[in-house]
Amino acid sequence: MKRVHQLKISVSGIRGVVGDFLTPNLACAFAQAFGTYVGPGPVVLGRDTRATGEMLEHAVTCGLLAAGCEVVKVGIAPTPTIQVYVSEIRARGGIAVTASHNPPEYNALKLFNREGLFFNHYERNELLDLYHQSEFRQATNSEIRRVVTDMDTPTRRHIARVLAHVDAERIRRRGFRVALDGVNGAGSRMSVHFLKDILGCDLHAIWVDPTKVFPREAEPTPAVLGELQKLIGRVSAEAAFAQDPDGDRLAVGDETGRILDNDDVLALAVDCALRRKQGPVVVNLTTSAVIDDVAARHNCRVYRAPVGEANVVERMRAVGAVIGGEGSNGGIIFPAVQYCRDSYMGMAFILDRMAETGQTLGALAATLPRYYRRLGKMPFEHGRLGQMMQDLETVFPGAQVDRSDGLKLMMPEGWIHVRASNTEPLLRVAAEAKSQEALDELYGKATGVA
Amino acid sequence: MSEERSLRISQVGLRGIVGNGLTAAHVLDFAAAFGTFLPDHGKVVIGRDPRASGVMLREGVVAGLLATGHDVIDLGIVSTPVIQHSIQRLDAVGGISIGASHNAAQWNALKFFGPRGTYLNSAEAGELLDIYHLKKFGFEEWQTIGQRHEDPTATDHYLDDLARVFDLDSLRQFRVLVDCTNGTSALILKRMNERFGTQFILINEPLEGRNFAHEPSTTKKMVGLQLAPLIEHVGADAGFLFDIDSDRVAFATEKGEAVSEEMVLVLLADLFLQHRPGRLIITSISTTALLDDVAARHGGKVVRVAVGRQAAIDALASYRPEQIAVAGEGTGAVMMPQFRFVYDGIASMLGILSGMEKLGCTLSQLVGRYPKYSILKGQIPLETHRIPELLLELEERFPDGERTTLDGLRIDWPGKWVHVRVSQTEPLVRVICEQCGEPPRALFDEVMDLVRGYTA
Repeated sequence: MKRVHQLKISVSGIRGVVGDFLTPNLACAFAQAFGTYVGPGPVVLGRDTRATGEMLEHAVTCGLLAAGCEVVKVGIAPTPTIQVYVSEIRARGGIAVTASHNPPEYNALKLFNREGLFFNHYERNELLDLYHQSEFRQATNSEIRRVVTDMDTPTRRHIARVLAHVDAERIRRRGFRVALDGVNGAGSRMSVHFLKDILGCDLHAIWVDPTKVFPREAEPTPAVLGELQKLIGRVSAEAAFAQDPDGDRLAVGDETGRILDNDDVLALAVDCALRRKQGPVVVNLTTSAVIDDVAARHNCRVYRAPVGEANVVERMRAVGAVIGGEGSNGGIIFPAVQYCRDSYMGMAFILDRMAETGQTLGALAATLPRYYRRLGKMPFEHGRLGQMMQDLETVFPGAQVDRSDGLKLMMPEGWIHVRASNTEPLLRVAAEAKSQEALDELYGKATGVA
Repeated sequence: MSEERSLRISQVGLRGIVGNGLTAAHVLDFAAAFGTFLPDHGKVVIGRDPRASGVMLREGVVAGLLATGHDVIDLGIVSTPVIQHSIQRLDAVGGISIGASHNAAQWNALKFFGPRGTYLNSAEAGELLDIYHLKKFGFEEWQTIGQRHEDPTATDHYLDDLARVFDLDSLRQFRVLVDCTNGTSALILKRMNERFGTQFILINEPLEGRNFAHEPSTTKKMVGLQLAPLIEHVGADAGFLFDIDSDRVAFATEKGEAVSEEMVLVLLADLFLQHRPGRLIITSISTTALLDDVAARHGGKVVRVAVGRQAAIDALASYRPEQIAVAGEGTGAVMMPQFRFVYDGIASMLGILSGMEKLGCTLSQLVGRYPKYSILKGQIPLETHRIPELLLELEERFPDGERTTLDGLRIDWPGKWVHVRVSQTEPLVRVICEQCGEPPRALFDEVMDLVRGYTA
């Protein structure tokens, strides 16, 4: 059977290629299910800059109104900003029309509860059941509520929350020369305002026009940030930032034009957060051990959660984490602002630490313990997974085992993590060690079994 | 009436009680079907009446049209005739009016228009319905999806055109009391007063989303209850009452007498035939026989078709525009060739006021020039399927009349007729009975009783 990957209606919400797959009809029905689930009250609605965003925004508004919700439209806004605003105005929930780092033909609905958090596992299942039953609340003319628009407050509230945790004045005094790649995404305008007007940077920005298409691959991986690297050299930037289309992921470049490893960026943020307040840290199973080393400097404990923002957030709430995140995909979660990946808090932490220490970003990164990492993927064969995982365990006898998301084996010389992807028919393999030789050996052994 | 049966999907479009039959899913499917039906990538004009549910419908309509690759020009809250006017002005490929016209506030509906603002003919409407039922919509990919724009100037452009057809300066002399029923006519007339110095005194003027001051029906009864008692009090020369989307109108004279809604078509037909004798009046078989007198006086002819907008539209298509004087129904909905054959209550009112001005008479004098006809209209909820039996018994009961079976059954005697038919928009049987002179009370009661025996 030919598989339909262009549309996915799952516990993560609804995501797909707009056109024949993700239709306004589906989006409207899903929004009406959401509105039925959260109840008749205000629901915040925002979107990223995709060409299909406006259309889907109308379809979602239709569904929410039909369910009796009041729609609070915030227009084009980063996902974390929408999440902050949901919690600020005590809305019933929120919807972001964004496919995050997916290519431009995709779009999706991200769903938030009244605290501005991603729906947890139980909420997601309940909503999905409701959607499938199609028994939605049908508001009558006297019950249908209005659409209100607020384009400015969300940005202001989000920035205010971020600034509460850094010394903005000392950042402004330094007048950092900063390069920015906004991917023409939802953060384009806000990031310019934030870095230039609020943090007083000498900003050199590319791709900050929200009316234009994405100029590069949407996910800010080093391979697609060539223009930003050139910009660093051209303007002698002291720091460089790149966002994804909905402004939750962050990539960071230093003064030499090098794009930092995302695990190292998270490690720097963890260091900043723990300097201000000690407490537990939560990262996913694939995140580098560099986090453990940094946390150990502050005598703080690190917990690990299955891969996925929602999983990390759930664990963070359970243990009362001070900071958390997912290394490889560029997500910093700082709950004092909001339980969500937030590129703005990431930028603020980095600049604040630079201002505090007077060190270059490259020098700051160099203080981190050095690890060697390799991420790979392999075609996924159903039915072979169980056997393979058992084989892996025998290849690494004596390893400490974590089976909460695929299989993670931890040895003194490093670790291996093998898991099935949530979104694609792939097996993801990650390995980390303290030397390149040890890494090659680990990775080779693991993939040899598979 | 039964709320569970409120949804009605037909060639006229989509209509129902919102949340109780009419849902967001219907709206999106219909908008996507219309976007698929229209020529690729043409722009589409939309507007709505002030009902609260209109915002929900609008959002679904916009999404469906954008997704099928059409740019949308949103006029905001405007009358249906303004939407039709803007379709032509903006060279759009079609339009959608969101509003339930003369229905109560809990209702809403979508009406569809083709290029130049014309109503869809039966073949086009049938194709739209087929696409809707098939649910195979022509959704575009992300690069070719449409964009939404707003145009707040639509009413002004419409007024410019009205001013070209009617001598608005000469109508400034009239003080006219208007009951807007909290609908879109208020926007037009307020602006007309500002721009042309006309004297429309508006009541029930604020746009209302949830509760209209009274039922928005353009009938003599409603005019008599709501408007007529105020006319002498304010010293107005005339009183007019509009439905929510301003495509229909009813009126009262300067003496505070409510006039039969049938007279809107009669007056306009007479005024136009005076200048263009020999032309046709297109109307339904339920409209007053007075039209036949008027047509005969000017050498014109009445073409009677089945009740409902669709039959009139199809009939219009079989004549050249210059053959037609006027088309319309006894409900106060009238189309004129000067206005591209669009039902337009505002234009109808201006036509009647122009008649008063040209003939130099009062409205009561204008109306008083005609022989007296009395019309009785009734409606009975329909809960059975026994209509064929009912019509058969009617024929047997009245074997002496002349039968017409174009739409239900009409029986004619000299100077008197009765018409029994099933409503197209609601589960109702409608009975209309007219007599030259006094009301045909006995005939009407007899037929109503007979109908009741078959409908419950």
